[in-house]
Amino acid sequence: MNSLKVDPIRLEVLKNRFASLTEEMGAVLMRTSFSPNIKERRDFSCALFDRDGEMLAQAAHIPVHLGSMPLSVAAALQRGDLAPGDMVLLNDPYRGGTHLPDITLVTPVFFSDEEQPAFFLANRAHHADVGGMSAGSLPLSNEIFQEGLRIPPVKIVRAGQLDGDLLAMLLANVRTPVEREGDLNAQIAANRVGERRLREVVDRYGLAETERYGYALLEYAERLMREVLVSIPDGCYAFEDQLDDDGNGSLPIPIRCELTVAGDAVTADFSASAPQVRGCVNAVRAITLSAVFYVFRLLSPPGMPGSAGAMRPIAVRTRPGTVVDCTFPAAVAGGNVETSQRIVDVLLGALAQALPERIPAASCGTMNNLTIGGCDSRSGQLFAYYETIAGGSGGGPDGAGASGLQTHMTNTLNTPVEALEHAYPLRVRRYSLRTGSGGAGRYSGGDGVVKELQLQGEASITLISDRRRQGPYGLNGGQPGRPGRNALLRDGQCRELPGKCTVDGQPGDVLVIETPGGGGWGV
Amino acid sequence: MTNPHLTTRLLGVDTGGTFTDLVLLDGSEVRTYKLPSTPDDPSRAVLEGVRHLLGDDQGLVFHGSTVATNALLEGKGAKVTLVTTAGFGDLLQIGRQHRAQLYALQPAGRTSLVPAERVVEVEERVLADGTVELGLSEAEIGRVVTAVKATNCESVALCLLHSYANPQHEAQLAQALLAAGCRVSASHRVLPEYREFERASTTAVNAAVSPVMSRYLERLQVGFGERQLRIMQSNGGSIMAGTAGSEAVRTILSGPAGGMVGAFAAARTAGCERIITFDMGGTSTDVGLCDGGIPLTSETVIAGWPVKVPMIDIHTVGAGGGSIVRLDAGGALRVGPESAGADPGPVCYGRGEGVTVTDANLYLRRLRPELFLGGRMPLAVERCQQAVEGLAAAAGLPPQRLAEGIIEVAEETMAGALRVVSVARGYDPWDFTLLPFGGAGGLHACALAEMLAMERILIPAHPGLLSAVGLVLADVIRDYSRSVLQPGNVAPAELAELFQPLEQQAVADMGTEGISGAALQLESSLDMRYRGQSFEITVPLIGDFCRTFHEFYQNLYGYRDEERELEIVTLRLRAVGRGPRPDLQYGLCRAEDFAPLVVEPLVVAGQECPCPVYQRSALPCGASFFGPALIVEETATHLVNPGWQVRVDDQANLVLEREGA
Repeated sequence: MNSLKVDPIRLEVLKNRFASLTEEMGAVLMRTSFSPNIKERRDFSCALFDRDGEMLAQAAHIPVHLGSMPLSVAAALQRGDLAPGDMVLLNDPYRGGTHLPDITLVTPVFFSDEEQPAFFLANRAHHADVGGMSAGSLPLSNEIFQEGLRIPPVKIVRAGQLDGDLLAMLLANVRTPVEREGDLNAQIAANRVGERRLREVVDRYGLAETERYGYALLEYAERLMREVLVSIPDGCYAFEDQLDDDGNGSLPIPIRCELTVAGDAVTADFSASAPQVRGCVNAVRAITLSAVFYVFRLLSPPGMPGSAGAMRPIAVRTRPGTVVDCTFPAAVAGGNVETSQRIVDVLLGALAQALPERIPAASCGTMNNLTIGGCDSRSGQLFAYYETIAGGSGGGPDGAGASGLQTHMTNTLNTPVEALEHAYPLRVRRYSLRTGSGGAGRYSGGDGVVKELQLQGEASITLISDRRRQGPYGLNGGQPGRPGRNALLRDGQCRELPGKCTVDGQPGDVLVIETPGGGGWGV
Repeated sequence: MTNPHLTTRLLGVDTGGTFTDLVLLDGSEVRTYKLPSTPDDPSRAVLEGVRHLLGDDQGLVFHGSTVATNALLEGKGAKVTLVTTAGFGDLLQIGRQHRAQLYALQPAGRTSLVPAERVVEVEERVLADGTVELGLSEAEIGRVVTAVKATNCESVALCLLHSYANPQHEAQLAQALLAAGCRVSASHRVLPEYREFERASTTAVNAAVSPVMSRYLERLQVGFGERQLRIMQSNGGSIMAGTAGSEAVRTILSGPAGGMVGAFAAARTAGCERIITFDMGGTSTDVGLCDGGIPLTSETVIAGWPVKVPMIDIHTVGAGGGSIVRLDAGGALRVGPESAGADPGPVCYGRGEGVTVTDANLYLRRLRPELFLGGRMPLAVERCQQAVEGLAAAAGLPPQRLAEGIIEVAEETMAGALRVVSVARGYDPWDFTLLPFGGAGGLHACALAEMLAMERILIPAHPGLLSAVGLVLADVIRDYSRSVLQPGNVAPAELAELFQPLEQQAVADMGTEGISGAALQLESSLDMRYRGQSFEITVPLIGDFCRTFHEFYQNLYGYRDEERELEIVTLRLRAVGRGPRPDLQYGLCRAEDFAPLVVEPLVVAGQECPCPVYQRSALPCGASFFGPALIVEETATHLVNPGWQVRVDDQANLVLEREGA
């Protein structure tokens, strides 16, 4: 790559151009999709990559995709047979994915007569159902085969033509095929819009110049991140926290981080974390990368581009076969949503020792995943409803934590009560703050949320939630937040439910979910 | 009431943070006036300006007001009590449960528009299809009214679940609360659309700002006597003062909307429909992008609160002529966001203590004290010089360099705002003409155009008063909507029936506005989507609207699926009474020749050079010359950088083009 002088204004313009094309992809995906997860809750990401698969820009709607998208592009590139007009679909956590509901579509973009693509566009979206043992495809599984249809990197579009046979094969294996087909169309449309915008940029600035500034953008982000790392005192810091259990009656699962800061680089070592478990909370390494990069983004100044350059000075060590770097065929449905949160908690806990006056106490620490599936008697069709529920954020040096807020690795919106009741045979009986659940301290933690849902027909309920035994930690003498709670009301009887469970629901049953408050900070 | 536009004397009054601008259209005659705003009670400046231009004469007054916005931004709205369905009292606090900043160590929570102690829950329940699951008893109504009265609120926001589908319970409660003497905003009236948080937020904002707006309008009406007063709404159309008082949420962007209407009308006179507007006032700067029309959005969020009524799409930054300059702890030069506003104003207005962007412009002699506001407003030149020199000494910089630096920093902030509406949305500024207005827009236009690689600038007549002109030119507009969630193949007769209440309301309301018969245009449209999606496309209700939907969808997203079921989510009705189309005669100068008032050394684009100063009114149509130049007029000043050519077109617009473009 040549080292001609970089014009700071053009750098800014192209940085914004790249970012806005990924934002536009996201807008198309959100506006044309059918899964509530995508259209209402914005559980998706869109990104642009250079010819080496380095991420140049990402419209991050939720951070859990931050570090894991590049592995999808690498998996597509590994096929070695990409041609103009192709699009590669995948969801296999062991080949570029995270968990099965997250389906990624990668488009290579070719220019003139080049044989290799100069750029890649990718979008990842959380589909409402991809088959498997329970509706919504977030089951309490013991191996990945129970979790749904596993898609290795396959060409769903070849030379511009959709592969109808492959699509039929996919749709035959999911509970809500009409919705799935609509979502896949939305993903294809999003990448096409991104490609159109990218071609406009290249038409305007030329391929060589566009690529040169892509490279400059990587270096720019790297410089910014190194400045951030220099400001952290050198040293080794260790912290350990745990997941409640794996949903199979296991003991608590420790996750440990040893952080080494040396000048303008850091190493986050998770090797001493627990071995992978039988239940579904195993995380592939991509998820651990996402969590680590998310934490360092928190420390970065505003304006940091979402480019891979920012990740260069950060080394992440994991040991294959652990709960933070699981190996085939471990069950992974909950790793993306629960274990990712705990990885953030332990890394922040380690950083708090280096920066005690900056790091806030732990937040809710679980996404409180709720899936309800069954047959909607109003239409006679199968349905799969999925939602994550907010909790309290941790108190910190800037003041008390916020109540009823999505924290850390997720930022999905709720499904409006009125939209939910219109779409599903469910009624919301309560959606309020869980007063007093934030941990006490000089700056208290934010409160969690209470959500009560009533079933209108028979349905299967699956809960994957954590922090039900031990609340989110406080810091500098602050108290932990109150742990969460799940219960089922049937015929006037209240039955406590474990953090991770599947329940056969009857008409009239009321499911009660109380989410954890944030930890308190200071005395 | 008669058609407002048949009155001959039309007066536009725009209240800004610093100045109140007035334009009187009397037949083809245009008269203007500008005076300092009176932020503690904006009506004083308005009434004084109206007296100055109208005396005892009759006239129709069009007003752009910042009262509603300021009440919201400054947290000075009325004390609101929220009344909502039992179990959902924290609705406004939880919102959509997401955080505004994705990467913040300590994400900010939602600020409270209604504190927990002013929430009253109601035992009742309506379902998604409008059926009543739990009825609203008389006893419950009585209990709620008592509980609301006990909160000592000034205003009630009423939002029950699924009230868009069946407003019966809301209507009953509203009636009982009104009878008990409460001021009520009911969500089925303010925004009968589904999604409870957005509807409740819009309703609560209305409840918070309406009492403040009503009090203000009552004061104005007392001063106006018999004269009719109309208020600009955020959607670019005006409504009667009485309506604006109870639906103040529709006036949140009242002033800036006038600016966009005025700017787009001016651009059209120059045959130009792709513009980026740049309205630099004393306190803030508003920018917008018109690509062939005035853009509307119903996704506005103000001070963290969704306000889902249709509004002109405008981006605002807190930097203007009155932005105060300071040196921060690290020795960096910071400009704004604190503003000297109208009171105390910049140092050169005589009372302010903090150096502002306006002071820097005066120090560099880009503002001409002898010509400021036509010489009616004396500027304290020596006071300004001392303040700039004092700050320069503290910064260890030559005063002239400090003054230039202040302007550079301010321009960087404004360029950022221009990028937000253009580059950040995928528009290339190069394809657009920059249309600066407001008193100071023209001073910074060349520098900004250069920063964004734009090659054309259009400075309309009376740029300092363009918002006021836009107020007068605006149509009378009322927007109605109603969520119905019906299948796309609904029978035409059934659809007509669903529209009927909206049409009846529109005809009645517009009749009150003085618009009826042939003067009233009703534009019906449908928000549609494929069944199961969450975002809609607005399709005009003309001919085969399903086909139109598929076409619009294809254009937007590149594919269509005619096999898929369609859904009509929301009915929309826009009632329009066309605004006046006066033949504006801006006193075109027909002189054969023109010459500068004076030529004197000025620092332009970092270089000192001899710079001619022109009086705009003395520049004839067809005149053409090159920068550097300073062009002064009563309400604004324009700086032409070297490398730019100025031409006066036959509509008295100044057209600036970059040489070699």
